[in-house]
Amino acid sequence: MSSPAKVVPFRPERRPAPKRRRQRHAKRRAPGADPVSLESLARLWSRFYFAWHSEEVDEFGYDPKFTETVLPFFEFLYAVWWRVDASGIENVPRTGPALIVANHSGVLPWDGIMINLAVRHEHPARRACRMLALDMFALLPFLAPMLAQSGAVRANPENAERLLRKGELVGVFPEGVKGVGKRFKDRYKLARFGRGGFVRIALRTGAPIVPCAVVGAEEIHPALAQMSWLGKPLGLPYVPITPTFPLLGPLGFVPLPSKWSIEMGEPIPMDGYGPDGADDPMLVNRLSERVRTTIQGMIDERLAHRKSVWFG
Amino acid sequence: MRPGRIAVTGIGSFLGSRLLRRLAEKHGADRIVAVDVAAPPRGLAVRHREIDLAKPGSDQRLLESFRDEDVGAIFHAAFFTSPRRDTGYAHELESIGTLNLFAAAAAAGVGHVVLRSFTALYGASGQNPAFLTEDRPLQPDPSLRWARDKLEAEQHAASFTRRYPDMKVTVLRFAPLFGPKVQNFYTAIFDRRVVPVVMGYDPLLQLLHPDDALAAAEAALEKAPRGPINVVPKTPMPLLTAVHLAGRIPAPVPHALAYMIGDLLWATGLGAAPGAFAHYARFGFVADGERAQRELGFAPRNSSRDAVVAYMAYRKPRVAASRAEARA
Repeated sequence: MSSPAKVVPFRPERRPAPKRRRQRHAKRRAPGADPVSLESLARLWSRFYFAWHSEEVDEFGYDPKFTETVLPFFEFLYAVWWRVDASGIENVPRTGPALIVANHSGVLPWDGIMINLAVRHEHPARRACRMLALDMFALLPFLAPMLAQSGAVRANPENAERLLRKGELVGVFPEGVKGVGKRFKDRYKLARFGRGGFVRIALRTGAPIVPCAVVGAEEIHPALAQMSWLGKPLGLPYVPITPTFPLLGPLGFVPLPSKWSIEMGEPIPMDGYGPDGADDPMLVNRLSERVRTTIQGMIDERLAHRKSVWFG
Repeated sequence: MRPGRIAVTGIGSFLGSRLLRRLAEKHGADRIVAVDVAAPPRGLAVRHREIDLAKPGSDQRLLESFRDEDVGAIFHAAFFTSPRRDTGYAHELESIGTLNLFAAAAAAGVGHVVLRSFTALYGASGQNPAFLTEDRPLQPDPSLRWARDKLEAEQHAASFTRRYPDMKVTVLRFAPLFGPKVQNFYTAIFDRRVVPVVMGYDPLLQLLHPDDALAAAEAALEKAPRGPINVVPKTPMPLLTAVHLAGRIPAPVPHALAYMIGDLLWATGLGAAPGAFAHYARFGFVADGERAQRELGFAPRNSSRDAVVAYMAYRKPRVAASRAEARA
């Protein structure tokens, strides 16, 4: 049974380059003398990268330095472009977990960023709100890393629960794709609120739900029709035709400067039902519907008083 | 102290060799048995059983060894951390070898087996939650034989756990190791000046410092918990941050081409990993370390960033020193 000794190495041994070669290398080229070497390029690139990225991010990928870099642009949109009128911000608890539930609209997730800014700038405690991003945004190349670095988190129950248990403020759009990609003729008609997942999370964690109505975002990219034939091969749930897209090419991505309002309603407490309430589908549906009608009511009231899309 | 000797397989792997040394220091060389085709390093007077796990009949020889040496616990680390081109041997060693090992361990009545596993087995996918817990099903890309063999090893472990409730089986799913003296495909990729990345993607990555990996392995041998446990660093970091921190140049490749180019490079012998590994550069596979904290009492000391910094200080002392100077 015993076989002769045979050594099978796990992997070919790879040693660092011999010293001799390294030293010659160093002699030939003083550090920084050769401006086009790969090494100096890497150094320059790294310096540029860390000028606007932190070396360490939080566990969900939030990068404070990156956010600081892009913030002025979003603040411009908030204050000048859309002149956001925030009200009821005091309904957001000063401390502890809470779930902000809002209507979703506007083709691209600008409304999430604006809700985030509203809480950040107008709430006395300057709370940060972690927005839950739809899969289609959270997995889209280029957009995905930017969303994660600016604090958004991919929307799934595990992530939401983890954030709430840490006592964070979480923002969610239960309408999902059906809301953000709805056509212009359906504007301000809330779509179905998913399957009530947000209520289950709130029940399990006992976090209150703060209803939030965003008015104005429906008009930034009025989707006249959908090109689903183009979306399918690109892996997108919708590609809209708007007055400016695709007619004006990249200019079509510039949102129209409508007047926005963001209103936070009275918080709906969830701790009275106990965590077992999450397993009661009737209760979940009832609460979900209650939140939906509350937001719809807030939107309708705001719309009734709105005189102009552009000036409010 | 636990009765019986501790056997370590895969002493040619980084983790196996370091653990062997550590255990020999802690318990005395005579209490440790190295089970491997390769001899333990000279100067380390541990017992040695020369057995090739991949060979038929190795289960019988393992059983004899475990009985002769009175083995009470096994750390099974005979796995390839990097993908290999001779997938046939890798399959025999990792999947069949694990089967042989568990069969022998069960027959010899070994009380505790620790299986070295990988968080990469969860699979990198856009559907993953930000933190993968141990009860998440393992779904690596089926075309990735590197992961499939290890998945089979875990399945063998699970089946023996069911059949032999007296045998405690701990599965340690380690995040990719990264640090001084580690050699795996991550270090191979980071040793090049230009690092290929997938354009438009920047997933969070967990890189585990070897010191933390060793501490967790030791804790697992000591506490003997049952079931899978993730061993992960303190915090993850974005892939591009790691690339820039290491002073490398990222070369973005569109994901439509990444898999093909990866396979092409792998086939020609230039690449460090097959194309399907591009998944791991697109999506995260960040695991949750809470269970390790609870059951092992293990709290990682290093973040992923610490691991990269330590590795660079080891590989490029000059560059690392100038960087540290610039920061100060």
